[in-house]
Amino acid sequence: MRARIFTYLVLIVAVVATLVPFVWMLLGSIKTQGELLRRPPTWWPEQPTLDNFGTWFGELDIGRFFLNSLVVAAFTVLGNLLFCSMVGYALAKLEFPGKRALFLLVMVTLMVPGLVTFVPLFVVVSKLGMVSTYPALILPFLAGPLGVFLMRQFIMGIPDALIEAARIDGAGEVRIFARVVLPLCGAPLATLAILTFLGSWNNFLWPLVVAQNEDMYTLPVALSLYSTGQNATNYGVLLAGSVLVITPVLALFVALQRYFIQGIALTGVK
Amino acid sequence: MRLDYHCEFRTRADEGVGMTRKLSTLTAVMVASVLAVAACGRSDEGPADKPADSISSGPATGTINIWAQGTEGEALNDFLKGFRDANPDVTVNVTAIPWDQAQNKYQTAIAGGTTPDIGMLGTDWMASFANALRATPKQVDTSGMYPANVESTNVGGTHYGVPWYVETRVIFYRTDLMQKAGFSSFPTDWEGFKQLAKAMKEKAGAQYGVALPSSGWNAFFGDLPFIWSNGAELMNADQTKWTFDRPETVEALAYLRSFFDEGLANKSPDDQPGATAGAFANGSVPMFLSGPWDVGQIAKAGGAGFEDKFALAPVPAPPGKTPISSAAGANLVVFDKAKNPDAAWKLIQWLTEPRTQVEWFKATADLPSQKAAWSDPALANDPKVSVFGKQLDNVKTPPTLTTWTQIAAAADTLVEKIMKTGMDPAQAMKELQATADSLGTGTR
Amino acid sequence: MAVVQIPAARAAQRARSRGGGPVGSRRRTALVAYLFALPFVLIFAVFMLFPLVSSLGISFTDLTNRDVTNPFAVNVVGLEQYQRLFQNTQFLRSMLNTAYFVAIGIPLTMVVALALAVALNSGITRFRTAFRVGFYAPVVTSIVAVAVVWRFILQPDGLLNTVIGWLGVSGPDWLGDPHWSMPAMILLAVWRNMGTLMVIFLAGLQTVPRELLEAAEVDGASSWQRFVRVTLPILRPTLLLGAVLLSVGYLQFFEEPFVMTRGGPLDSTLSISYFTYNQFGFGNYGLASAASYVLFVVIAALSVIQFRAFRSKD
Repeated sequence: MRARIFTYLVLIVAVVATLVPFVWMLLGSIKTQGELLRRPPTWWPEQPTLDNFGTWFGELDIGRFFLNSLVVAAFTVLGNLLFCSMVGYALAKLEFPGKRALFLLVMVTLMVPGLVTFVPLFVVVSKLGMVSTYPALILPFLAGPLGVFLMRQFIMGIPDALIEAARIDGAGEVRIFARVVLPLCGAPLATLAILTFLGSWNNFLWPLVVAQNEDMYTLPVALSLYSTGQNATNYGVLLAGSVLVITPVLALFVALQRYFIQGIALTGVK
Repeated sequence: MRLDYHCEFRTRADEGVGMTRKLSTLTAVMVASVLAVAACGRSDEGPADKPADSISSGPATGTINIWAQGTEGEALNDFLKGFRDANPDVTVNVTAIPWDQAQNKYQTAIAGGTTPDIGMLGTDWMASFANALRATPKQVDTSGMYPANVESTNVGGTHYGVPWYVETRVIFYRTDLMQKAGFSSFPTDWEGFKQLAKAMKEKAGAQYGVALPSSGWNAFFGDLPFIWSNGAELMNADQTKWTFDRPETVEALAYLRSFFDEGLANKSPDDQPGATAGAFANGSVPMFLSGPWDVGQIAKAGGAGFEDKFALAPVPAPPGKTPISSAAGANLVVFDKAKNPDAAWKLIQWLTEPRTQVEWFKATADLPSQKAAWSDPALANDPKVSVFGKQLDNVKTPPTLTTWTQIAAAADTLVEKIMKTGMDPAQAMKELQATADSLGTGTR
Repeated sequence: MAVVQIPAARAAQRARSRGGGPVGSRRRTALVAYLFALPFVLIFAVFMLFPLVSSLGISFTDLTNRDVTNPFAVNVVGLEQYQRLFQNTQFLRSMLNTAYFVAIGIPLTMVVALALAVALNSGITRFRTAFRVGFYAPVVTSIVAVAVVWRFILQPDGLLNTVIGWLGVSGPDWLGDPHWSMPAMILLAVWRNMGTLMVIFLAGLQTVPRELLEAAEVDGASSWQRFVRVTLPILRPTLLLGAVLLSVGYLQFFEEPFVMTRGGPLDSTLSISYFTYNQFGFGNYGLASAASYVLFVVIAALSVIQFRAFRSKD
C-alpha cells in the first residue's frame, strides 16, 4: 500500500513537471504582447485577453489552413495504412525475387537524414508540375519506410496456417489480404495512423516550400507567417496558434492511445 | 502471437554477402548514370552578361506574381489598389511567405523553376541569388536612393533589382535614466559613450550599461558600425582582397571587448527576439544598438507613455571620425524565369516612387529607399524616424560576394571568442583573415 | 492463436519451404507480390530513391547554390568533399558534440521512459489515461512553441533555476554557458522524446507473463531482482526497438539547438545535422551532401551494433 502511494506521488510530481511548459503556453496565449515581452516574465496573466485567439478566428482564415492540414494529414494517413500494409504483406508472406533488396532499401532510407534529399525532391515535384497542389503535399509522404517496417513486422507474426487455409478455400491473394490479414491489423494500423498523422500535422519545411500560394498553406506555415517576423516575434499569436495546433493531436491520442500501445505491443515486440 | 525481428535480422545477415554485392552493383549503376549526366564540367567564365530588359511604355498588363515576406506580404495586397486603378488590365497576385526559412524557399523555387515574377530579397542575399535574376533596366531610376542599398544590388558590376525599404542600426537609449546618470545630452564619441554606460550602471541602477552583440548569428554584423566608424574597411577598394587584420578593426573590437571585461555589457544575454526590448523597458539594460523594428516592440513592452522615456542617436565614433552604421533592408527583384517581366518592372517602378513610398511608410513603418520621400512631414516630423534618416547618410553594406555569408559565420564565432573568453582581437582577426583568404571572394 | 492445420495446407507449406511447387504458381505468387508492392515502389522510387541517388551523386561534385539553374555544369571532384570534411575542425567538433548528445541522451531517455512505464504498469488504476496523455503531450508539441516556452524556463533567472534555488544551489546559465548548453539540450530532448519510448515500453511490459513474476516472487525474489532477472530479459527486444528508433532520431539531432542556441555558445551544441544545415545555407551543396552521407554511415553502423548487442541469446 505504501509502495502504491509512493508510486502515485512520483508520477504526480513527474507529470506536473512535464506539463509545466504546457501550462505556461496556455497562460501565455492569453497574455498581451507587452506582458510577454516583460522581464522578468510573469506567471499569471495580469490582463487576460482572448485577442490572440481572436486574431486566428477573426482576421485570419484559420478554417482554410485547418482544412488544408486536415486533408493532407488524412490522405497521408490513409495512403500509409493501405500501401504500407500491402507491401508489408508482400514482404512478410509472399516470395518474390528482389524481396530482400527491397526490404534493405526500406531500412536504409529510414536512416538517411531528410535534409539531403530536400532540393532534389522539390525538383522532382516541380518537374511533375505539382507545385502548389495537394498531391505535392501528400504524395512524397504517402508510403513511408517506417510504416513498411512496422506492418511487415506485424504481419510476419500472423500464422501462415491461417493464410494457407484461406488459400485452400480458393481465396485469391487480394481476398486473403483484405479478409484475413487486414482485419487482424487493427492495432498496428492505429499506431501507424498516429505516427503518420503527427508527422504530417507538424511538418513545416516541405509545405512551406511546396505551397506557393496562401490558399495551400497548412497550419504550421500559417503559424510561422503570422507570428514570426524578421526581427520580432508576436508571442501571443504564436502561443495561441500553437495551442490550436496541438489540441486536435492530443484529442487523437486520447482517442487512440489504447490501440496505440496495443499496436506497438504486437509489433516488433514479443 | 510472437514477432521476433532479430531472428529475421540474423537470417538476413547470413545472406548478407550476396545481398550487399547485389545492392552495391545497383547503387554503382545508379550513381554512374547520374554522374554521366552531371559530369559536363563547369565552364570557368562567369555568368554571361545578361542584357537588361527594356520597359515598354503604356500601362502594365497581364498577370504579375509577387512574393513578399511577413508584414510586407500581409500589407501589400490591399496597398496595391492604386496600381490596379492606374493599370486596369493587370492582375497582381501577392503571396505572403513566412520570414522563417524564406531564403530556403526562394532557393528551392529557383532549383525547381517555379519562381514568381517578383521576389523580395534581403540586401545580404543578393550575391547568391544573382544568377537567377534579371538585370535592372536602364529606365529604373535609382539615382535618388540611398547609395549603400543601391550598391547591395550590384553583383559583379551588374545591378539586379531595386531597393524597396531600408534599415540601419542606431543607439536606443533611456532619456530618464541618462539624466539620472548625470548626462544632459547623448555623447557622440567612444569615450563619452563608455562613460555613459558606466554611469548608467553605477548611478542609474541599471544591471548593465549597454547591450552589445556578443555571440550568435549576426554578432559580427552587429559590431560592424564600430569597426566602420573607426575607419576600417572589410576589403580593399577594388574588392579583390579581404582586409580583416587591419589595426582599425582590431582596435574597434578591443574597444567593444572592454565593455564585457568591465561588466558593462552582458556576455550571455537572452537572445530571444524582443528580449532586449523587455530589458530596455524595465531599465535593466538602458542602451542598445538596433533597427527600426524595435521602436514598435519597445512601445509595446514599455506600455502607455513609454515613447517619451527613450530616444535614438546615431552610433558613436572615435573623436574626429564619422559615425558609420550598417545598412540593410530588402530589394525587389525580377527572376529570370518571370513570365511577365515587363509588367513586373512597372510594378517595381511604382512601388519605389517617392510618393508611393510615403504611403507605404504610413502602412507598414518601412523606411523609404528614396531620399525624396523623407521630406514628407510623416517622416520628417517624427523625431525617432529622423534619427534613422540622419544615420542613413553615413552607412555601408558588407560586400555582395558569394563567400560573405560563410566568412560572416566564421567571424561570428570569433567575435564570440573575443567577447566571452577574452581571446585577443588581433589574434582573432588574423585567424579570420586566414579563413577569408582561403575562401576567397567567390566565383564572381 | 490455435489453428488446426489441415494436412493439405501443411503439404503446400512443405512444398513452399523446399522452394518447390509448380513454376507457374511461383510465378503467379511473385506477380501478385509485385502488384502488392507496386504502389509503394512507385512512390518510393520517384520521391525517395531518385532524390537519394541524386544527392549521393551531388556529394561527389562541387555543386553550389549558384549552380541550381544549371546543375549539370559542375565538376566531378570524386572524394574531395569527404576529404575536406574530415579536415574541417568545425565538422570534427560537431561529431564530438553529436557523440556527447547521443552517449548521454539515449541511456537517459531510456531510463526515464522505462521508469515511467514501470510505474504506470505497477498496477495503478486511477488516472492511468491522464498520466499517459500527460507524459505523451511533449511529443505532439511543435518545436516553435517548445522553444518559446523553454527559453523562459532555462533563463538564468528562469523557472528551472528558481526550483534549483529552493534546494539551496544556484543554477547555471543553461543556454549561455558552453558547459551547460549541451546538458540543457539533452534535458529538452529527454522531455520531448520520453513519451514515445514510454508508450513502446508500456507495450513491452504488457507482454511479460504474470505467472513468471509470481513464480519468482514465490521463490523469494525481491521486486528489484524480479525486475532485473525476469522483466528486463523479456524486454530485450523492446529495448532494442527503442534504442534503434532513438539513435536514428538522436544522431540527426538538430531542432533543439536550432531553435534554442543556434549551435552555440562557442559551437558547443553544433551537431552534425546542424553543420550540414549551415553548409546548405552557405550554398555548399556538395559538402553538405557529403556530410549527410557520413552521418548516414554512422547511423547505419550504430544500428547494426545495437542489433548485435541486444540480440536475444535464445
